[in-house]
Amino acid sequence: MHEVSIALGMIDELTRLARENNAKKITNVKLRIGKLSGIVTDSLIFAFDAIKPEFPILASALISIEEVPLVYECRKCGKAFETDNLSFTSCPVCESYSLKLVSGEEQYIENLEVET
Amino acid sequence: MCDACGCGHDHIHKETKTIDVNQSLLKANEEAAAGNRRHFDEDGVFAINIISAPGSGKTTLLEKTIEALKDELKIGVLEGDIETDLDAERIRKKGVPAVQLTTGGACHLDSVLVHKGFHLLEHSLNGEGLDLLFIENVGNLVCPSFFDLGEHIRVVLISVPEGHDKPLKYPKVIKTSHALIISKSDLVQYFDFDIEKIKKDALSLNPSLKIFVTSAKTGEGLDEWMGYVRSKLKYQKSK
Repeated sequence: MHEVSIALGMIDELTRLARENNAKKITNVKLRIGKLSGIVTDSLIFAFDAIKPEFPILASALISIEEVPLVYECRKCGKAFETDNLSFTSCPVCESYSLKLVSGEEQYIENLEVET
Repeated sequence: MCDACGCGHDHIHKETKTIDVNQSLLKANEEAAAGNRRHFDEDGVFAINIISAPGSGKTTLLEKTIEALKDELKIGVLEGDIETDLDAERIRKKGVPAVQLTTGGACHLDSVLVHKGFHLLEHSLNGEGLDLLFIENVGNLVCPSFFDLGEHIRVVLISVPEGHDKPLKYPKVIKTSHALIISKSDLVQYFDFDIEKIKKDALSLNPSLKIFVTSAKTGEGLDEWMGYVRSKLKYQKSK
C-alpha cells in the first residue's frame, strides 16, 4: 500500500499549491497515471478520500485520473504500438526487442481546479 | 456590500480557476532523494539500497559482506523495519555502526527518513567518514521500488524458497535494480526452483541486471558479490 504514502505526499503538495495560488478550496484534481507506473488507481483514490477530511482546503476535492496507455516505439523499424503486456515485449512487426518507451510510466499531478 | 472583499457589490466571490501543475506525484520524495545523493557524493560515500521480501536474507547478506569488507572499507548501515531494532543490533555485533529506522507501520523507507538516519549515523562516527553505506529497506518487494532514497545502486534479493516466478510477478523492483542476488542457493535441491528461468525472466525485464547466485551457508557466489561491490565503489570514487 505505497498508495497511502503517495496520497499523503500529494496532499502536502496540493495544500502548498492552493496556498501559493490564494485558493480557498480545491474542487478537482486531475492526475495522469501510466499503466506501467505500478500505482493502483483505486487504492490511491481510496487513500485520498480516507485522508482528505482532515484537510479542510481539500476535504471536498474530487480526483479524476487519466490512465496513460503503455506505448513503445521500435528502434529498428520505427513502428509505434500500444500493448497491455507489462513485462518485456517485442515489436509486433519486426520482433525486435530494442524498444523505446513512449508512454506508460507517468505519475503526474496534471492540474487542479480551485475556488478563489 | 460583499463580505469577501468589501467591494461594494452585492455578489458572491466564488471564482474558479485551473492551475496547471504537471509535476510528479512523488516530487517531495524525489527532491529529498536528490539531496541525499548530493550529500553522499560530497562525503565520498557509496550508498546501496537493499530490497527484498521479509526473510530473504538481507541482514545475513550484510553480515557476510561486513565480515569480508570491514578491514578494507569503513562501512555504515541504516536498518529499515516497521518495528524493533533487532537488525541494527545484529549489525552492531559485527563491529560497524548502524542506525535503526523504524517506520512505525509504513511498508518502505522514504528519502526523508534516510536523510535523518544518515545524519544520526554520521554524528555517531565523530568525524570519521564512511566509504560504504548500506540501506536495508523494509521487507517488501513492492512499495520500496517506488521510493528513490538517493542510493547509487539498488540491489534486490530473491531467495530460493520464494520461487523463481518472482521477477515476472514483481517487475518494478527488477526493472529499477542494478543487481539481483538469488539467495539460499544451498536449498535449490529441496525446491522446484529453476535458476536458468529466473535469470532469463529477470534479464528480459532488465537486460543490464547483474545476477549473483549466492548462499550464506556454503559461501557460493559471495566472492563475486564482494568483487562487484568493490568495483562499483572504485568506479564511483574515480568519477
